[in-house]
Amino acid sequence: MNLAIDALIGLGLVILAWQTISGRSLFRGIVLFVVFGLTMALAWARMGAPDLALAEAAIGAGVTGALMLVAYRRLVQLHPEEPAQPNRRRSRLALPIAALAAGLVAVIGLGAVSAEREPGMAGLAVMSELADTGLGNPITGVLLKFRNLDTLLEVAVLLAAFLAARTVFADEEKSPTPPRGDLPLVGALLAIIIPLTILVAVHLLLAGSREPGGAFQAGAVLAACGVLLILSGRLQPATRMGLAVGLPLVLGLLVFSLVGLAALVMGAPLLALPGLWTVYLIETAMMISIALTLVLLFAGASGLRRGDS
Amino acid sequence: MNIVEWIAAGVLTLGAVFYLAGTVGLLRFPDVYSRLHALTKADNLGLLLVCVGLGLLAADWQVGALLGTIWLLGLLAATVSAHLIARHARHGHGQATTNSEES
Amino acid sequence: MNTAWLFVIVAALLFGIGVYGLIIAGHLLRKLFAINIMGNAIFILMVAASGSLDGSPDALPQALVLTGIVIAVSATAFALALMVRLYQLTGKATLQDDEDADD
Repeated sequence: MNLAIDALIGLGLVILAWQTISGRSLFRGIVLFVVFGLTMALAWARMGAPDLALAEAAIGAGVTGALMLVAYRRLVQLHPEEPAQPNRRRSRLALPIAALAAGLVAVIGLGAVSAEREPGMAGLAVMSELADTGLGNPITGVLLKFRNLDTLLEVAVLLAAFLAARTVFADEEKSPTPPRGDLPLVGALLAIIIPLTILVAVHLLLAGSREPGGAFQAGAVLAACGVLLILSGRLQPATRMGLAVGLPLVLGLLVFSLVGLAALVMGAPLLALPGLWTVYLIETAMMISIALTLVLLFAGASGLRRGDS
Repeated sequence: MNIVEWIAAGVLTLGAVFYLAGTVGLLRFPDVYSRLHALTKADNLGLLLVCVGLGLLAADWQVGALLGTIWLLGLLAATVSAHLIARHARHGHGQATTNSEES
Repeated sequence: MNTAWLFVIVAALLFGIGVYGLIIAGHLLRKLFAINIMGNAIFILMVAASGSLDGSPDALPQALVLTGIVIAVSATAFALALMVRLYQLTGKATLQDDEDADD
């Protein structure tokens, strides 16, 4: 029965991926890609990885889908007709290469699955080491205790992607989104959804030390808040990045680096976190930075200002 | 299986039937407005039935409260998005009456 | 046949579809879909092959994949910006080689 559900999800993934690649319309492709991401979230839940399910639903499907839709809208705005659909490339080698790649992945995977698991493997050692850190969620523990430099640089990569995207559009004048007629229903929705979203984000952040969740999932949920505010015209993209935007943008990187350096000053190894409170401090700062970076990427702007409505 | 599980299974199946009907309506109905009807009405009822079924299985008031919240949020999202789509269609954007797959 | 084997097969199929899509896609957005699908295939492979499906969950590959998801989104966001800029400047969202080269 369980295997049947897994097989159904796997089949769905393969069909959705094929449709995404081979469909005619780009817009349809984006929608299918988002559905693919949500099905991936189901697959993660089935594979016993609820952290990944949350991350995939919020970041993989939600944020990526929103960014793709924004990019598509800008393509349509530049040339109002359906963006030119270049013919598919005809390549005799495509199918053999794809089959070879799939075979390679299958061989690696099947080899790894059937390999004997040694008792002294890193994963088991990590689990026993984490037992006395007070972090109930092993994923958060690994991210902040054993791979702290990776996690720090991960935040840096996200920031670098935003800065690079801004550099590409350095000389562009940003036209403000035209104010829409304020719909009473949208105002009511925002009044309910925004506090709830913030609640969920904070819960994900705090729960992240014990249960599935963490700064990245919480940041993506918080970013959804900002995206709603931009779509409803409450927040407008701005050309200049003020201190009110710039400081939170680098807050995660700043706090993480400072705490890590403080550890070095006090004689501990670089980036060793002295206690559980530093974990909460760093995760909160990271959540704010991640959310703001994602919102700015969505807005395609350097800064934000309050809307007129 | 005891009697509660049988009832839950029945309610869940009924919910799935409503989802199926809503999806078929979404794909088959001719214009935006009737598609919205199919999507919001049938799917909201389907979601309610699925939530009730899961609540019966869980037999826990905390889980029940969470499921109720999920249903209310689903209603809210469906209401507002259906309103926005219908308004958009009424103001002449998109293809309100054609049965094109890509609107 | 168990869950791990099943998901390894799924990962292999997804990777093959991704590679195929990457080669034949004309539009850059479609190439981005393909790259993201390839990435997801590798994520599935890493978790499925770590043995966490059948025995005790292994936090290491899951943490690696979590990092991977965030990096994939960062790269996709930058690639989308490049694509829109290319379209602004040239009016095309394809690579030069894809139109001229024939092999």
